[in-house]
Amino acid sequence: MGNIAFLPIGLEVGLLVGALGILMAAVMRGCRTRDWAIIAGTAIGFGFVVSVRQWVVVGDIGPQLAYGTKGIDGSAVANQMVAMDKFGALGGMILMIVVGLVLIGSWQMITDLGTRGAEYVALILLSVAGMHMMIVSANLVMLFIGLETASLALYVIAGFLRDRRGSDESAMKYFLMGSFASALFIYGVALVFAATGSTSLYGPTSIGMFLGGNVMPDPGILLIGIALILVGLAFKMSAAPFHQWAPDVYQGASTGAVAFMSTGVKVAAVAAMVRVMYLGFFQFYDDWSMAVALIAALSILVGTATAIAQSDIKRMLAYSGVAHAGFLLVAVLAARVSLDSMWFYLATYAVSLVGMLTIVGVVAGVNSGPVSIDSFRGLGKKSPMLSVAIAVFMFSMAGIPGTSGFIAKLVVFTAADLNGFRWLVVLALLASVAGLFFYLRIIVVAFFDDTDAEETPSTPTGPRIAIGFAVAVTVLLGLWPTLLLDFAREALPHL
Amino acid sequence: MFPVLAFLVGLPVLAAIAIVLIPKSRSELLLPVAFGLSLLPLAVAGYMVWTFDTAGGFQWVESIIWMERLRIGWTVGVDGISLFLVALTAFLFPISILASAKISDRLRGYLVSLFILETGVLGVFIALDLVLFFVFFEIVLIPMFFMIGIWGSSNRKYAAIKFFVYTAFGSAFLLASIIALAVNAGPVLQTVSFQWNDLAQVPMTSAAQTWLFFGFAIAFAIKVPLFPLHTWLPDAHTEAPTAGSVLLAGVLLKMGTYGFIRFNLTLFPEATVKYGKWLALVAVIGIVYAALVATVQPDIKRLVAYSSVSHLGFIVLGTFALTLSSVQGGLIQMVNHGLSTGALFLLIGMIYERTHTRKIADYGGLASTMPIFSGFFLLAVFASIGLPGLNGFIGEFMVLIGSWQTFPVLTVVAASGVVLSAIYVLWAYERVFTGPPGKANKDLEDLNSREIAILVPIAVLIVFLGVYPKPVLDRMENDVNAVISRIEQSTNYERPTFDLEGRLTVDVGVPEQGESPSGEGSE
Repeated sequence: MGNIAFLPIGLEVGLLVGALGILMAAVMRGCRTRDWAIIAGTAIGFGFVVSVRQWVVVGDIGPQLAYGTKGIDGSAVANQMVAMDKFGALGGMILMIVVGLVLIGSWQMITDLGTRGAEYVALILLSVAGMHMMIVSANLVMLFIGLETASLALYVIAGFLRDRRGSDESAMKYFLMGSFASALFIYGVALVFAATGSTSLYGPTSIGMFLGGNVMPDPGILLIGIALILVGLAFKMSAAPFHQWAPDVYQGASTGAVAFMSTGVKVAAVAAMVRVMYLGFFQFYDDWSMAVALIAALSILVGTATAIAQSDIKRMLAYSGVAHAGFLLVAVLAARVSLDSMWFYLATYAVSLVGMLTIVGVVAGVNSGPVSIDSFRGLGKKSPMLSVAIAVFMFSMAGIPGTSGFIAKLVVFTAADLNGFRWLVVLALLASVAGLFFYLRIIVVAFFDDTDAEETPSTPTGPRIAIGFAVAVTVLLGLWPTLLLDFAREALPHL
Repeated sequence: MFPVLAFLVGLPVLAAIAIVLIPKSRSELLLPVAFGLSLLPLAVAGYMVWTFDTAGGFQWVESIIWMERLRIGWTVGVDGISLFLVALTAFLFPISILASAKISDRLRGYLVSLFILETGVLGVFIALDLVLFFVFFEIVLIPMFFMIGIWGSSNRKYAAIKFFVYTAFGSAFLLASIIALAVNAGPVLQTVSFQWNDLAQVPMTSAAQTWLFFGFAIAFAIKVPLFPLHTWLPDAHTEAPTAGSVLLAGVLLKMGTYGFIRFNLTLFPEATVKYGKWLALVAVIGIVYAALVATVQPDIKRLVAYSSVSHLGFIVLGTFALTLSSVQGGLIQMVNHGLSTGALFLLIGMIYERTHTRKIADYGGLASTMPIFSGFFLLAVFASIGLPGLNGFIGEFMVLIGSWQTFPVLTVVAASGVVLSAIYVLWAYERVFTGPPGKANKDLEDLNSREIAILVPIAVLIVFLGVYPKPVLDRMENDVNAVISRIEQSTNYERPTFDLEGRLTVDVGVPEQGESPSGEGSE
């Protein structure tokens, strides 16, 4: 193991060092925002390189577990905390790309914040480190630490624009509800420990080993534990009925923060859910898969139905995010048949959503709270390129062919159908059509309405890069999906 | 072998890119360049019609599997069923571009939309992979949505959204059915496959056939559209710009009727035999209902839109009557309807550019002020109501004579639609063209040379197909026959035969192998 000593957590270490570096740079004289950008860029780039390195190393020597405790005889290593596998490596790459796009797209706001901008960047780096920890954790306790690291930073990010009224509400709501969900999660872990004597996902003393070796005549406590863990993760990905916080938080937080929290957390929570549920509780697949299917169905229905009624883009995207959380839960079920479909959905949705929110930031200002749909009025004439990008993202989220969103839905639904959830697939497809109402509405406002306003929103370079990248990815993967699918097929968790 | 079909579908994409690359300062070049580029797919389609082997079967087949695990890929081919729909598509696009000379607002985007639309429609007709088919089927919605929404008339937003959501609703059923079909066939094929060829070989339980048949049928019935799912069509037609209406009626609606033949009849033979009569019934209700509604329309574009619903009912009736001449008649009627209704929408567009009204009551006496215009209009009207000697007659006659053997009662009712169509269009013609010209219509200019150039090719084809449809029928016959034979093999259905007092029995279809396929004339 010597040569990979730090590799399994290299990404986290890099991001933490970067975060501390930025905080120190901010109090040094003569340091400007550009220097923070360099530090943050280096940290994120380093994280990406580490993920690639992990991918390569895992390809050579197979998936590894790390950081365990020695057994009594001093030789056997048990209770390992972190898994290094292609699952975590791909998760790391996606997170790095997403966080990179978010920072590039909302850098304007960071500059506007002055010294506090450094804190904001540092918090985002800390948070993303926590998210990646969720994906790679090999132990439920470790997962909880990752969850809390990610969440605590997010609570602050949500309320970062403290001179704005909605911001406090946003942060407070997120914090109260989020800590409640965290408490439920850790209570679930405790119950699982009570039932199985383990919190570990791997090794001879793991939950799976215990469940495989023992018949539980009365698994009540375990099932409640599983349910609470599910609730905790479902809350983080804003699946119904645990989604109530999302619209208010999105509306109150700055657009860049929304882009980050709506994508990064979903990636982390979905990936963590797949690892925990399949590896920890596979013996109870029948029980939890039905629960996941029901949460998915409810999320899709509630998210879609409520999004139709919204007139604020951020709220609309929040509810559409609820619906997408439902689709992602379908992907969790589909992951039993094809894990690559889940990765494809996660990656493409995250990129499209970051692109869309970056546009919202450009049109309505990065610091903006509520953003009425009317602010897109007549954009098709004022800045055609931006409007085409909007159309691409909206069609992608709606699942129209030619975009990555369609392929994502196709592969996920095919896999879910193969896995026996045909009713869910039909429901999801019909809900996608209902979803067209609000995705199309933005296009209609942008393209079909004229406006009197003369000013043309000019797109600064940062957002331009982020949006351009997101459009390119969305279209490219829509036309050539095997690029990612073939790659993601190898991204299996350590078994 | 040269990938003819990839080339055919790729040409409009390249054309769209070329249009984007034309610099802003030379925007006067947009229209001529677009027209020139749109002739290239037409040339390819002409070559295909010319060299098509009348023995039938899929020709110019290309197959590149692109997602091996799900067996999704670029699998395309053209047979006698799709050949003329491809040709019709390639024919109508240059005409549509010529008819768009008055578009000035965002012309570049408009032309790009048109070319993407052409790619989508061509792709639908050649795709032999169900996912590929679905992709093209859906992609068509996007340019059409923008065409109606940006370049349409007053109520365009409503019409565009209604069009998109309505059709996408059907598509959801289609996609669910496609996925279920592939998953169900998985155990037999040992893999999930979306290839039409693979799936057509897999036997299915009748329960599965029923579900999937209706899943596909809803999508196609909305697209056709069949009564009572037709309500999006009048709005979309009325609000769309001229080229949009022409293409909507000319080729987009055919995606539905084509889908019925290609997928419902082939993949679900048992369900087709069982439930085809219900679709035929709905089609006949649509024929009569839409004809009656068309009669009372005050808006001439809406009138033609409803006449489309009525005419497409014949095609669906013929399709599910499952005899050679009815299906073949339906197919040729798809082409005919594209020509005659396309011509009508073009003509309405031309008069609308002059008067800016679509109300029939605002017109009158145009025959004296615009003689050339009214001449073309009369030709299109006659083609539409099926005057012998013009193309509409061939299609409707074949549908009626073929369907009579399967659904005698329905056919009688459907035949009344022919009469009704004569009533509504001729009445409209009378109100618009005869009598003294009103004040507003006195100074109207007759068609200019560009407009005549648009109409002449259509008029030529209308007459040609009416007089000599044999080249078209020959190319369709074997493939249509194969579709019906498949149904006969996999179910207890037998196509009806004429029995003239026991003296002689003539199979309406092609006789045994070896004998020359004789077409319709010999019965």
